[in-house]
Amino acid sequence: MQNANLLYHKTVVYSIISLLALPIAATLIYSFSSRWGATILPDGFTLKWYGQLFSDIRFLEAFGRSLLVCITALLLALVLVIPLAFVVFYYYPGYDRLMNVLILLPFAVPPVVSSVGLLQFYADAPFPMLGTPWILIGTYFTIALPFIYRAIANNFMAINLKDLVDAAHLLGASTPKAFFHIILPNLKKGVLASMFLSFSFLLGEFVFANILVGTRYETLQVYLYNMRQTSGHFTSALVMTYFFFIFICTWLGSRISKSNAL
Amino acid sequence: MSYVSVEGLSKAFGQNQVFSDIGFTIEQGEFITLLGPSGCGKSTLLRSIAGLNPVDSSSLTVAGQEITHLAPQKREIGMVFQSYALFPNMSVSDNIAFGLKMKSVPAEEMARKVSRIIELVELKGKEDCYPHQLSGGQCQRVALARALVVEPRILLLDEPLSALDAKIRKNLRIQIRAIQKELNLTTIFVTHDQEEAMLMSDRIFLMHGGRIVQSGTPESIYTQPANAFVAGFMGHYNILDKDSAAELFGLNGTQSIAIRPEAIYIQEPGRAYSEHMTQPTPAIIKDHQLLGNVIRYKAMIGQQEITLDALNRSAGHLIPVGSSVGLLFDRQEFQPVSLSVSTPA
Repeated sequence: MQNANLLYHKTVVYSIISLLALPIAATLIYSFSSRWGATILPDGFTLKWYGQLFSDIRFLEAFGRSLLVCITALLLALVLVIPLAFVVFYYYPGYDRLMNVLILLPFAVPPVVSSVGLLQFYADAPFPMLGTPWILIGTYFTIALPFIYRAIANNFMAINLKDLVDAAHLLGASTPKAFFHIILPNLKKGVLASMFLSFSFLLGEFVFANILVGTRYETLQVYLYNMRQTSGHFTSALVMTYFFFIFICTWLGSRISKSNAL
Repeated sequence: MSYVSVEGLSKAFGQNQVFSDIGFTIEQGEFITLLGPSGCGKSTLLRSIAGLNPVDSSSLTVAGQEITHLAPQKREIGMVFQSYALFPNMSVSDNIAFGLKMKSVPAEEMARKVSRIIELVELKGKEDCYPHQLSGGQCQRVALARALVVEPRILLLDEPLSALDAKIRKNLRIQIRAIQKELNLTTIFVTHDQEEAMLMSDRIFLMHGGRIVQSGTPESIYTQPANAFVAGFMGHYNILDKDSAAELFGLNGTQSIAIRPEAIYIQEPGRAYSEHMTQPTPAIIKDHQLLGNVIRYKAMIGQQEITLDALNRSAGHLIPVGSSVGLLFDRQEFQPVSLSVSTPA
């Protein structure tokens, strides 16, 4: 009975996985095939499309820009959120609930709506913001906020922050010394896990990138969109490269958050 | 002048008065226990002495120096936390050396001090382990070593044994007391376990509702409880209100009395009792519990329940439930107590 049940569950799970994996597998095969038209199987396999992709300066530049914007936004989030979370958890633990509401606010408004709001708000800014990476960095910072804050908050809860800092104080350490010697090294796991997970999320962001900046600072997703008229094999290679990158980041993120080694 | 002197210490969180007007003195090298049920304010009091909780009003002096407004870093007070609070990113020896590093002690002297203290707490061979590789008892010994190595003027122990299992707890409390005596270290220990307090302390301060309700040596607190709360907390005292006491023993009926369960005897035929004993009072055994070397009986004298302890001398000695017996009370052990707890001793 139990075996039959298990078989049933396995069948359902694997069917769903296969169904979801099918388009990705098709894209992968398509990206390697020289031509795949009216036949069931491709005519032949080639690395031509990947070669073409990686020799396209525009792709490499867009990829570089995406990396730059995402990493800057994440670093900004870390620099601001770690001290903030420290203050909340050490001095005002009651404010954690307020923080949980605040960090979710950017998600309350759909990206299309909030990007229109941002366009209007920054149109009259004393210095040009629209079309520059700065506005994108600021927006991505708000998107990364909940992931980073929650991961760091969980980390603080796990290490019993208050007792550690109190113990360090009684041993003669000032608050900054306690923070750098004891708290920061113990945040490594939470910080790395949240960084990789938010990074893979931000790298795939399209709506804000397209509306706020568009072709003036072409990121990976905008480049992919602009390339939609070219060969399907080429865009498939592009999508697969992107998927591979995201997969590595997500895998690293979940591996770090599960491991006890760090 | 006393080594540690606390006067008028008060603390409130908003409307909630945690403790008020606490005052006591401690001599150098004394082992003091703040004993009380959870929520009585003893841990908050300890944290206030350490400077981790600001106090509303007080005067706090150590070795003649006023430390009331000093930052925790400058008080030279060592503390061991219930949660150990070991730094997870540091090895045992780095944890212990942390306080010395903060004081910029030269490397050679630091290494010498660390290795000496590691020997003292019997952690040799564990120097390079990380906290997650240690057992609870080992963690607590690292925490103790870390607090001791900086040679504090006072050592504070905040329920350091409550997270450990019974056997380790018993060994560790003997070890802590031995180290404290060896270093002649003034120590304030917080616990809710009266047995632990009696075993380890030179003096006990029993707290209830944010006040010290009685202080004294373990023996004096146990044998002369000031009120019904102390009597109930320190042992399984029988509390008889003044009317019951008058009715049972012909006392003058002005005060309630407390009687320890081991000061009550079940009459045995042919045995002579001292002149301090009351006449046998008829009672019926309602229940008995075997506690190992002691049998705890619950007996009824009319409507009054009496708890008494008898030595478990042999298996056949157990008196069955429902038996009629005669109870003898040692008059010398009648402790007049007040039923209210508000009067500090």
